[in-house]
Amino acid sequence: MPPTLPDDESRDLGRKGEADAYGALGLIISGVLVWGGVGYLLSERFDNQLLVLVGLLLGMGGGLYLVWFRYGRST
Amino acid sequence: MSTALLAESTAFKAPGPSDFEPPPFFTLAGVEVNKPIVIVLLSAVIVAAFFYAASRRIAAGQGMVPGKLQYAGESAYGFVRNSIALETIGKDGLRFVPVLATLFFFIAVNNMFGIIPPFQLPGTSKIAIPLGLALIVWVIYNWLGIQRMGFVGYFKAMMFPPGIPWPVYIILAPIELLSNVIVRPVTLCLRLTLNMFAGHLVLVLFVLGGEYLLLEYGGVVGVLAGSVSILASIVVTFFELFIQLLQAYVFTLLAALYIGGALVDEH
Repeated sequence: MPPTLPDDESRDLGRKGEADAYGALGLIISGVLVWGGVGYLLSERFDNQLLVLVGLLLGMGGGLYLVWFRYGRST
Repeated sequence: MSTALLAESTAFKAPGPSDFEPPPFFTLAGVEVNKPIVIVLLSAVIVAAFFYAASRRIAAGQGMVPGKLQYAGESAYGFVRNSIALETIGKDGLRFVPVLATLFFFIAVNNMFGIIPPFQLPGTSKIAIPLGLALIVWVIYNWLGIQRMGFVGYFKAMMFPPGIPWPVYIILAPIELLSNVIVRPVTLCLRLTLNMFAGHLVLVLFVLGGEYLLLEYGGVVGVLAGSVSILASIVVTFFELFIQLLQAYVFTLLAALYIGGALVDEH
């Protein structure tokens, strides 16, 4: 016997929340990796460690912006 | 107690990654067959045999009144069908139930070998297994996306979500690309592997630590702490069972989400 399921709406929200959490995490990790990596390469090239910080912050900002854009607007 | 300390000669050897490299049983055509390989093959046989046996009477056209085994098979399959495929993908998800159910039960059985004596090593703690499974999922959802929107259209939709001023794309497009193409399969693989790896280490530590305290360290402290450690290992075993099933569910759920995302327009 399948367990009694809650109504459709709350189930959808629960599933969606789980999905969004993993999606958001992936976006922030990607942002830091991409632009932190670019910043690191540039810092090696121009011998300026500040560029790593700039890259990391840019990537984190971009990732957070995408999280807001994907999951934070409307509803 | 101090005498026990002084008499102590053999130091405790903490479990580590080497515990996941058991020596091979035998070598077959140049392949070293060891415990993880046997466990993975056994998992495949168990899952296949269970569902074959459970669906045998349906295939023969006489499954209208399900027996116990068929009922168990139907419930298990129905769980993946209803609470993973239908809920995350919708009606279109029904054609992916076979692959999702296979993923779920193969991973679940592999995971549960972590607490089944005499094996007690999760097959999925070897990174090759989750990596292979994650690559299968990766190929499926990318293939579906490219099939639906064309190669260029797929990457355009992925990298350039509409409604963002164009200069911002320079920053965001590489993030989206990496997130979809690299980070998704890598996190899918690592989440499962490391959960099983760490869980097994914790279990081994409680058992070996308890054994060492009881038999080698001795004394009042050793007996007391060792007993607690051994008892705790039983609790951890049940906790591991929960984690093992949860991780199989999470892996399948995310696979379904990625497949569903490739079938419809996001946003």
